[in-house]
Amino acid sequence: MKQFLRFIFLILLFTTGITVISKADSGNENRVDLIGKVVDHNYLDFKPLATIELPRLIYDDGSFYFYRSTTSLLNTSENFTDAAYVDFEPTVEEGRIVPATYNIVRTDGQPPAFDFSITSHLVFFWIAAIVMFLIFIPLSTRYRLGTGRISEPRGAFQNLFETLVVFIRDDIALQNIGPARYQQFTPYLLTVFFFILFMNFFGLMPWGVSSTADITVTAVLALLTFSATQIFASKDYWKHVFWFPGVPVPIKFILMPVELIGLFTKPFALCIRLFANMASGKILIFSLLGTIFIFSDLFGSGVAYGTSWIWVLLTLFVYLIKALVSFIQAYVFTILSALFIGLSVSDHSEEHAH
Amino acid sequence: MNPVYAQGLLDVDFGLFFWVLITFLLFLFLLSKFAWKPILNALGEREKVIKESLEAAEKAKSEAEQISRDNEKALKEAESISQKIRKEALKEAETLRADRIEKAKVESEKFLNQARSSIEQEKKQALIELREEVSRLAIGAAARILDEELDEKRNRKIVDRYIKELN
Repeated sequence: MKQFLRFIFLILLFTTGITVISKADSGNENRVDLIGKVVDHNYLDFKPLATIELPRLIYDDGSFYFYRSTTSLLNTSENFTDAAYVDFEPTVEEGRIVPATYNIVRTDGQPPAFDFSITSHLVFFWIAAIVMFLIFIPLSTRYRLGTGRISEPRGAFQNLFETLVVFIRDDIALQNIGPARYQQFTPYLLTVFFFILFMNFFGLMPWGVSSTADITVTAVLALLTFSATQIFASKDYWKHVFWFPGVPVPIKFILMPVELIGLFTKPFALCIRLFANMASGKILIFSLLGTIFIFSDLFGSGVAYGTSWIWVLLTLFVYLIKALVSFIQAYVFTILSALFIGLSVSDHSEEHAH
Repeated sequence: MNPVYAQGLLDVDFGLFFWVLITFLLFLFLLSKFAWKPILNALGEREKVIKESLEAAEKAKSEAEQISRDNEKALKEAESISQKIRKEALKEAETLRADRIEKAKVESEKFLNQARSSIEQEKKQALIELREEVSRLAIGAAARILDEELDEKRNRKIVDRYIKELN
């Protein structure tokens, strides 16, 4: 009974949410920018409560410019303007110029030399970093004080994170890198895992954004794994890349470009896999909910209301899958990073299994 | 109407790239130093302690087993030794007794022999004395009979010869 009531409550919650969205959009052209929901923004979207504009930091012509928000930039700056306002008159609401695209360009229409403004993905990346700090610094203090070091771990908090830490150390780092050097890379793998996990989970929260659905963020992570494989690579690794041992000489020449391409496809695949998985989940949820509005357009609002529960249930299902995928993708990224690092640092000289 | 310029999904934003890289490296450093290192060290230490205590327990167990085995062995040895000692003692006592008996036998034999020989001696002596006495008595008697017809010396000779013939 209790579960049934909870279920009804969830359906009601979703239905009201959809009603609010449909009301909010009914004034416009019933148009929702689907990709816009996934990409990075210069504001935090807490619709329908508020939209918080984020600071803008721009470097151009040898000087730094700092603005509290995009609106303040548009109203005070003489050097920069919105890309939409270069050729057209700016939109003014209540005596202030409001941003149109948030895409800041110089007044001559050229992009600034370097725009390192704070964005929504960055904010959630930082939140993930702070959450990690708030979790793991107290955890390490516990260990330093003796709980878990000289006694068993106590409490759900410590047990949960110890399980994950031990899992990453033993089943990911030790398994893939080997007993000789795994300790060197365990901190990196732990950081990557929990960073990705928390960023993925933020995408599941109301108004939350998963920063891993941004190819820039995943590219940085993949780049770091790539750097680790290149910096700590063994002599044997380079030999395998440029002069593959144990095969005839003509094959060696064929394998060289293949291996060279392989160097870069590995981190590229890492980057794309994580990004695509996280972005697609979000797009899928919006698409499923969007089906209600498509039905409303095609068959009238009565049919749309009548069938909406199907799409809401499907969305719920996809949401649960997304929760699972959040975990799996963090795990996959970490285990593949460990695997690539393991391949590059291991010394095959003692085993000729090729 | 606000124009919607959807940002490309695959655009790499270098501002974000810069921030994410800096933040990640900073947090990687901070977390490694202040979180992962103490946690991993503590875990390693704990695992080491557990491993060592398990090994110590195993060692103590095997030692105890060894000791109990040793004890049993020592007990068995002591038992067999005591058995041996008892047997030996019994044997020795037996030999000693046999020895004593033998000795006593020999001793008594010796005494007996001595007594016999001394009796023999006495007997011989007595016989000699008796003969002498007899011969003296015979001579005396004969002298009385013959009435001193014969002189002492010649009679003596006759008697001696007679006695010799007797022997």
